[in-house]
Amino acid sequence: MTAEGPRPEPEAPTTAPDAPSTGPDAPGTAPGVPAAPLYAGPAGTVDGEWLRVHPASPFVRGWVALAAIGFFVGRDVFERALQGRPILEDQFAGRAPWLLAAGGIMLLIAVLGFILTWYFTKYQVSGGYVRVNTGFIFRQQRQARLDRVQAIDIVQPLLARIFGLAELKFEVADAGESAVRLAYLSMDDARQLRATILARAAGVAVDPSRPDGPAPEAPEYPVLAVPPSRLIGSLLLSEQSVFVVLGGAASVVLSAVTDNRSFYFYLIPAALGLAASYWNLFNKGYNFTAAISPDGIRLRYGLLDTQAQTLPPGRIQALKVAQPPLWRALGWYRIQVNVAGYGGVENAAEGSARTTLLPVGRLQDVMAILALVLPDPGTPDPAAVFGAGLHGLDSDGGFVTTPRRVRLLAPLGWRRNGFAATDTALLIRSGRWWRELVLVPHQRTQSMALHQGPLARRFKVADLVLHTTVGPVSPRLQQAGVEQAVALFDAQSARARLARKRQTTEQWLAQVAPDIPPGDGGQVMPGPVVEPQPLVGPAETPVPTQKGQQHG
Amino acid sequence: MHTEAIDPPGIIWQRVSPKYVTVRLVEWALANLITVLLLSLPLVFVLLKVWKWPPLWLAIAVPSAALVLALWRLVLIPRQVRAIGYAERDEDLLIRTGIFFQRTMAVPYGRMQYVDIGVGPVERGLGLCTLKLHTASPGTRAHIPGLPAAEGARLREQLAARGEARLAGL
Repeated sequence: MTAEGPRPEPEAPTTAPDAPSTGPDAPGTAPGVPAAPLYAGPAGTVDGEWLRVHPASPFVRGWVALAAIGFFVGRDVFERALQGRPILEDQFAGRAPWLLAAGGIMLLIAVLGFILTWYFTKYQVSGGYVRVNTGFIFRQQRQARLDRVQAIDIVQPLLARIFGLAELKFEVADAGESAVRLAYLSMDDARQLRATILARAAGVAVDPSRPDGPAPEAPEYPVLAVPPSRLIGSLLLSEQSVFVVLGGAASVVLSAVTDNRSFYFYLIPAALGLAASYWNLFNKGYNFTAAISPDGIRLRYGLLDTQAQTLPPGRIQALKVAQPPLWRALGWYRIQVNVAGYGGVENAAEGSARTTLLPVGRLQDVMAILALVLPDPGTPDPAAVFGAGLHGLDSDGGFVTTPRRVRLLAPLGWRRNGFAATDTALLIRSGRWWRELVLVPHQRTQSMALHQGPLARRFKVADLVLHTTVGPVSPRLQQAGVEQAVALFDAQSARARLARKRQTTEQWLAQVAPDIPPGDGGQVMPGPVVEPQPLVGPAETPVPTQKGQQHG
Repeated sequence: MHTEAIDPPGIIWQRVSPKYVTVRLVEWALANLITVLLLSLPLVFVLLKVWKWPPLWLAIAVPSAALVLALWRLVLIPRQVRAIGYAERDEDLLIRTGIFFQRTMAVPYGRMQYVDIGVGPVERGLGLCTLKLHTASPGTRAHIPGLPAAEGARLREQLAARGEARLAGL
């Protein structure tokens, strides 16, 4: 094990896009480290100071290594004692003190490494940036623009939870794939820091006497919760279970036909993998709750490891509501989203949990989430339009479907494949059996393309693909009539352009006044309609961060 | 170049340089000739009676199928190059490609994060370049190949200026 701890950060510093601005307003970023207090939480400190993470954090991070060493040594000693053998072979016995000393030195080096790693990890929130310094041999500094914060998570792995610690992780649009992580802070500090970062990112007017002081935490109102029974039911009825049943049946049939039992042996790893996957989904989806606060949507979930995600308003790039066939009888839906920065995650399980906005929910839960994501649905009758998107056919809800002449190409789907545009978002629905509704806010449309292959040309249809950030949702309108597709292509360009003009700043409070109903704690539906107020002028336009790269 | 059904009406497409055909020919030659030669090796061995398997007809059929496919692609290259077009509109850049599998893409200037120019060895010899546009989405694979170097530089500056004027957040 290296002294860096078991989880070294990815190497490349990601400060590139903003590099020029680090100079003047970032004192103490150079190797000559300013004197930092040995340990101080963010609460009650003057901001702009360099702070350290919690002293216990390297041990919480490195406990696996220490536990492994302890386990192997302990097991060896125990086995030898059990077998009545001396703990050390005779020829080693004379050297025992040396061996012990060597082991002690190794342990000391590891602990020293932990302490040094902790000592050189520092963070600072000031001047619109969060900066994190890590490493004592290979120093690196990350900084993230606060108004580019896309999402902020508080993660508590089991061990950290026992010690009351938490990891703060935030995704920034500038930095490409990498999250900025702070592990570990005490839970109170983590929440306080989250509130401060979100307040700065939102553009909350700060107390002029203490411009860098900590911000109060925004109040939140619960919107929905997923009971464990429904989660278990959804897992049992998931697509994965269908394959498990099919695979099980196939292997039984095969063994009966071939009269060969030995291949059950090979199913053991598959069964273990499946159990792990079910456990993972259960562990991640357990106790799922969603709440709304002026800072955005708060999601909390987890059985052993808990996680609290905050998605600020307007950060969702695309959303998908899906209903596998087995869920239809129970009226359940799943919602997944694309958020910039959530794409490049280290492991798939974590990624799929983070991009799930609702693991399983009923229709009213879906409508509540849609209302959170799209405070202004852009249509006078959102229930009808979204309802038609979820389970409608043909032209109800104002959807334009695949023309009838294409029914040979899409015998089932042609009545369902379609799109509808409200003033704020484009809705694309598809799938008679695997029902899907994809929603892309006009503000978030990046670029788009029309595709047409030879067969589609015969039938005079075309596909429209909307490009969005990395994630589980890939919006594609299938087999729309050519005239409608071309008209939509043009209309959508115009709508996206208009929406971009209305969005004048990244600071969401400066843009939209959040309309939260008074907290009665109960089943609060989010405020009905928040009309985005276009605020004026080009002066508000954020400074383009990629300016330096613009010239390629 | 006539416009196809999926192109927005009333667009006058800018074409890429006809010299780009040469670049594609070189790429074609490198890829396909090597493939066909490799696939012909069994035929040689069979004819020399070194190998007993595969049978002669199979040894002939596979490389000839590959050859026919390669020739088909060769015939298509000039048309494919003619099918590449771009148009600068007020708010976005349109790029179209393809004959059989057509694609028309609109990249808003406000969404462009950066613009790259790439020059390969063959392109350099012909004075051409490839312009690549990047947005926050990896799905935007917006390339304009075969631009004359001067036009590429002009377009890059133009796009960068327009992008900066209209740059929106994510």
